[in-house]
Amino acid sequence: MKLVKPQTKAYSLILRYLLFLLMFIGYGVFELFSQSFEDAHDQALGSLGNYELLFSNQYFWDSLLTSINITFSSTIISIVLGVVLARLIYFYLHQSKWKYLIWIPMLIPHFVAGHLILLFFSQSGLISRAFYNLRWINHMSQFPGVVNDPWGIGIILTYIWKEVPFVVLMVLPAYYRQNKQYIDVVRTLGGSKWQVFKMVEWPALYPIVIETALILWAFVITAYEIPYLLGVTYPKMLSVLAYQWFYQGDWSSRPIAMALFSVLTVFILMITFGCFRLTQSGRFRSMRGR
Amino acid sequence: MFRIILSCLIFAMVLTGCSKGDTPKVSDNVFKQDWSQIEAAAEGTEVRMYMWGGDDNVNRYMDQWVAPRLKEQYGVTLVRTPMNAPEFMQKLMTEKKANSLKGTMDIVWINGENFKNVKANDLLSEPFVQILPNYNSFVDGNSNNIIFDFGTPVDGKEAPWGKVQFVYLYDSAKVKNPPANFTELAQWVKENPGKFTYPDPNDFTGNAFLRHLLYQQVGVETLIKEGYNPSLVSDKSKVMWSYLKDIKPYLWKKGQTYPQSLTQLDQMYSQGEVWINMGYNEARAEALIKQGVFPKTTKSFIMDPGSIGNTHFLAIPYNSPNVAGALVAINFLLSPDAQLAKMDPAGWGDNTVLDINKLPVEYKNKLDNLQRGASVLKAEDLANNLLPEFTPEYVNWIKETWLSEVGKTSN
Repeated sequence: MKLVKPQTKAYSLILRYLLFLLMFIGYGVFELFSQSFEDAHDQALGSLGNYELLFSNQYFWDSLLTSINITFSSTIISIVLGVVLARLIYFYLHQSKWKYLIWIPMLIPHFVAGHLILLFFSQSGLISRAFYNLRWINHMSQFPGVVNDPWGIGIILTYIWKEVPFVVLMVLPAYYRQNKQYIDVVRTLGGSKWQVFKMVEWPALYPIVIETALILWAFVITAYEIPYLLGVTYPKMLSVLAYQWFYQGDWSSRPIAMALFSVLTVFILMITFGCFRLTQSGRFRSMRGR
Repeated sequence: MFRIILSCLIFAMVLTGCSKGDTPKVSDNVFKQDWSQIEAAAEGTEVRMYMWGGDDNVNRYMDQWVAPRLKEQYGVTLVRTPMNAPEFMQKLMTEKKANSLKGTMDIVWINGENFKNVKANDLLSEPFVQILPNYNSFVDGNSNNIIFDFGTPVDGKEAPWGKVQFVYLYDSAKVKNPPANFTELAQWVKENPGKFTYPDPNDFTGNAFLRHLLYQQVGVETLIKEGYNPSLVSDKSKVMWSYLKDIKPYLWKKGQTYPQSLTQLDQMYSQGEVWINMGYNEARAEALIKQGVFPKTTKSFIMDPGSIGNTHFLAIPYNSPNVAGALVAINFLLSPDAQLAKMDPAGWGDNTVLDINKLPVEYKNKLDNLQRGASVLKAEDLANNLLPEFTPEYVNWIKETWLSEVGKTSN
């Protein structure tokens, strides 16, 4: 007879993880929230003033809008391209060793990737220089400004380049796991490629795609280095704005920066919860094979 | 399981609060010792210096000139940690919140709003400059540049280390006559669209550029005398914002965005994307030209009403674990040898804080013969146009007002 019941063992494993989570992340989040209620001057607790200041701040709303735009664009484009690529690899490059090349961008740190985009796409960058030398443009400044541009094209480009391989990495196993016979069934019944995708591939991919999108989304909306490097002076993306407030000379804007991060944390938690619900029902459906 | 929880708890204790029970700081009496005792106490110790690390020439001076000599002459090992001032100030604040009496920093390199901030939060050691032999012998302790830091009284809590002046740089191959004042600058910008910009005012240099403009629009006397008076300034500064809005469409990227930092502006200047550059160090172009980063034809110029100058300082945090070592290192950095080496145009090129009249003759001669390089303006031109810094409260005021008046609005 075993001394410890398997169930107890499972609980103890979870408990260890929870302790770790509470100690490191929980404490950080607790400090974040408590500092967001502090008064900038006497550090007294219990005021909502920082949130009032934050929500009445036009810079915050402009930053939020820009951040959401850039985050959604880069997430959705990365996901679509990543799924298309994974599909190509699954169906056509199955045997090829070259498929591993696609993961090269994952080896490069984000900051370096941002610098590469700057090196190639800035107005004095390599592409602009090449166009100029080929006489396609008369001045290097005629090259369209895609970095440090108000629409965040440079930021989105960097994230797509970095995240598409990640999406492929996440999605490809789902392709290999799916039952290939379903594809043959749809084919024999005269289904098109699109119907194969819709009826066989998508239900298998769906939960993992949502999960991946969530990871990307949460990563991009709180990222600092790429928006700092490739963003514009106004409006700055949320983390750049928060950093600026946090380190502002006299430290008076610190609590507002904390309030901003608190809002962002709650926002991400809400979206995570929503996605969790979605994928749970999705998994259930795909399990029943509908 | 129990073991794991226990070890987690112990680890948590280590992380959060053991330092609270430490013995009171031993450094208290160091400030009252004789200099020879301090030197003896410093021997064989390690001094950890936290300083901005964004300039290779500064780093090289510290690592290759200062550190080996400090080791050889005083047996003190200098460990340089590159970090931005607001970040190590934050670290210090966190240490204070955690009630830590034994910190991690022995010397910090600060000035301006950072000094005001740490002084107000009581994060520095007690006054120490009077202890330093080199300060007493060679520094003019009555000079405004030494006893005020951006208008904040120093009170002996930081020792002067160097002096810099704000100058503009231009490529003389592309710009024939550099502008002599802001009116000419506006004209030049309009004739050469896209070839000028200034860093985001959140950046130190970008903010200094706007302070220079504020001096011109509001008047030097008023700003110094009045202290921080936003209502007075906001009225008089309207011209300044309309000036900036006026040139905005002709700036780099049509003023839709600004370089995030001086580093970015330097990079754009070195690639010929802009033709005028700036910086808070009258001699910094020299080393960059020698290294082939800036074009050889780079020269500097100043514009009316003058050139803003400031002093940068070294301070000791309240919880420095090695006060004696810090004192010895700071004293060494104030020695005529170290100050002269710091002025070397092939290296840092930073101006000395020592009073030339107090120096021994041999150093005086060396200083007179020092050639700072063709890109540096003459010493008398710099000295005659020197403008003091005003109170650091304006730094924030400029950041915020600029954003709503200029940065946010589209053309």
